[in-house]
Amino acid sequence: MPRLLPESRRCVWLLALAWLTVTPVAAEVPEDPFRSPMWDYNLARYLGEGADIRHSDTVVLKAPPFAEDATQVPLTVDLSAFPHAVQEVIAWVDLNPVPHLFTLRPEAADIRTVALNFRIQQASTVRAAVRDDQDAWHIGSIHVEAAGGGCTAPSVTASNPDWANSFGQVRGALFSPAGGMVGSRLKAQVMHPMDSGMVANIHRFNIESVELRHTASQQRLASMSLSESASENPLFVFDLEHDDAPAGITLLLRDNGGNLIESRLGG
Amino acid sequence: MRQVLLLLGCLMVGNFTAHADAYRYSLEPLEIAPGVWVFEGAREDFARANGGNIVNTAFLITEEGVVVFDTGPSRRYGEQMREAIEAVTALPITHVFLSHHHPDHVFGNQAFDADILHALEGTIQRLAAQGDDFADNLYRALGDWMRGTEVVLPTQAVTPGRVTIGGREIELIAMSGHSGADLVLLDHTTGVLLAADMVFYQRAPTTPHTPGIDVWREELRTLEALDFRYLVPGHGPVVEGTEPFEQMHDYLAWLDDTLRSAAGAGMTASEVMALPIPERFDEIAVARHELMRSVVHLYGRYELEALELISEGG
Repeated sequence: MPRLLPESRRCVWLLALAWLTVTPVAAEVPEDPFRSPMWDYNLARYLGEGADIRHSDTVVLKAPPFAEDATQVPLTVDLSAFPHAVQEVIAWVDLNPVPHLFTLRPEAADIRTVALNFRIQQASTVRAAVRDDQDAWHIGSIHVEAAGGGCTAPSVTASNPDWANSFGQVRGALFSPAGGMVGSRLKAQVMHPMDSGMVANIHRFNIESVELRHTASQQRLASMSLSESASENPLFVFDLEHDDAPAGITLLLRDNGGNLIESRLGG
Repeated sequence: MRQVLLLLGCLMVGNFTAHADAYRYSLEPLEIAPGVWVFEGAREDFARANGGNIVNTAFLITEEGVVVFDTGPSRRYGEQMREAIEAVTALPITHVFLSHHHPDHVFGNQAFDADILHALEGTIQRLAAQGDDFADNLYRALGDWMRGTEVVLPTQAVTPGRVTIGGREIELIAMSGHSGADLVLLDHTTGVLLAADMVFYQRAPTTPHTPGIDVWREELRTLEALDFRYLVPGHGPVVEGTEPFEQMHDYLAWLDDTLRSAAGAGMTASEVMALPIPERFDEIAVARHELMRSVVHLYGRYELEALELISEGG
C-alpha cells in the first residue's frame, strides 16, 4: 500500500510534464467565422497539426460572391497589405473533393499578387494561408455560392476533337504590377485540359508544377504546385517584386503525363 | 370520426388554397397599343421573392386569335399568363413565338400547345442542348415556383420575314447579338417593336451567350432604324421612343472599353469585377451583379487578345 503513493505522484508529474510540453505547441485554432465543417480538418491537413494560425485581413481574397461558371471561378490573392515577408501561400476550396488549389513558394522574387481560376463542386469557403518568416500562418477567407458540379464536369477540351493541336500553347505578356510595386506582373495562359480524374473514363491529366526562372541566370524566382481544383486552360497572374528587374522570365510547366512546357516572356 | 375526417379534409383544402395563392404572380396585362398587351416583370435577378417574374412577355389580339410572345420563367407563369389572356379575350391562341432560349422566356411553354410553339432554328437547338441545365439552376434559385416545370421544345421553325396573321402585319426579324439566336417581332399594324433581350432598359444587359458586344451593337443599329413607335424591351419599362437604344449603346460601349483597357493593363478578372461603374448607370438595376457575370462570360476573350503566343504547343 505505501508504494502506491509515490507511483501515483509520479503519474501526476508525468501528466504535468506532458501538459507543459504539449500546450505551447498546440496553439489554439481560432474559430472559423464562416463555420465551415472542414475548417479544422483542412488546417491540419495542409498546415500541419499544431500550426500557429490566425485570421488576417491583410490576406485579401478577391472572388465573386457567386460562381457564374462552376468550372472557372476567378480568384486573386492580394498580399499587397501583408506586413511580413511571404514564405509560402497555400490555397484551398473547403468543400471540393480535392480541396487543395495551389502551394506557392516565392524564392528570388517577392510575390504580392497571385491569380488563378478554380473549379467549385458546391458552395464553399475558399482559403489562402500565408506563412510569414516566423512560421506563423495568416489566413484569409471568402465564401462563394455555387450551383456546383465544377470538378466533375467534362472539360471543354474533351469535347473538342482537335484539342491536341492547341495543347501546350502558351500566351503571355508582362505588365506593370498593381499598387505601384517595383517589378512586373506576369500573365500567362496555357492550353491544357487539366482533367481532374473525376469524370468517368478520363484519367487525371493536369499540370502539377509551375516554375518561374530568371531567363539569363536560370535562378528560380518562384515555384508553385497545382492540384485538381485548378481550372482548365489555366491563366496565371503573378506580381513579382525584384531588385534587378530580370530582363526575361522563363515559365516552366510540368504535367503528370511527363510534358514539360517551356516559354519565355520579355527579354 | 367522419366529422374529424371532414375537418381534416377542410384543413387540407384550406392549406392547399393558401399554398397555391402563395405562388401567384399577379399578372396584369397592360394594353400599350390597340390589341397589344404586355406583362411587365420586375427589374431584378431571379429570386424567390419574385418567382422569376423578371421578364416582359406580351400578346397580340388578331381577328382570328391570339399571338403570344414569350412564355415566362415557369410552368406556373405560363398557366397564369394563359388565364390572364383568357380574361381579356375568348379568342383561341393561334401562335406562340419564343424570342430566344433563355429560361425566363420559354419555361412557361407547357401551358401552350406544343404544335403552335414557334422559334428560330438556332433557338430550338440551343434550348435542346442547354434547357435541362437551365431548369436545374432555376429550381435551385426559385424553389417551389418551378414545380412541374419541364423543357418543351418548339416544333415550328420560324422563317424570318413579313407575315399576315389574322389581319395583323407582322415582321419576324432574326438577330443574334444577345443569345446567338434572337427573334424580334415588329407589329406594323400598331408600330410596336417586341425587342425581347436584344434591348434591356433600366436593367443591366446579360451576356452569357452573346457572340460579342460588337455584333450586338451592330444589330442594335439595324433595330433602331426600323419604323416603330413603341418599344417593349425584354427587361425594363415599355417606352414610346428610342431612349433604351441610347442606354444600350452607352452601357455596351462602356463594357467593351472597360474590358479592353483592363486587359491591356493586365488586370485579373477579380480586379475587373470590382472596377467602378460610372454614376450615369446608377439608374440601371443590378449593374454590379451583371458586370461580375459579364467578366466571367467575356473577359477571357479580351485577355487573350492582349497576350502574345509565346509557345506553339501542339
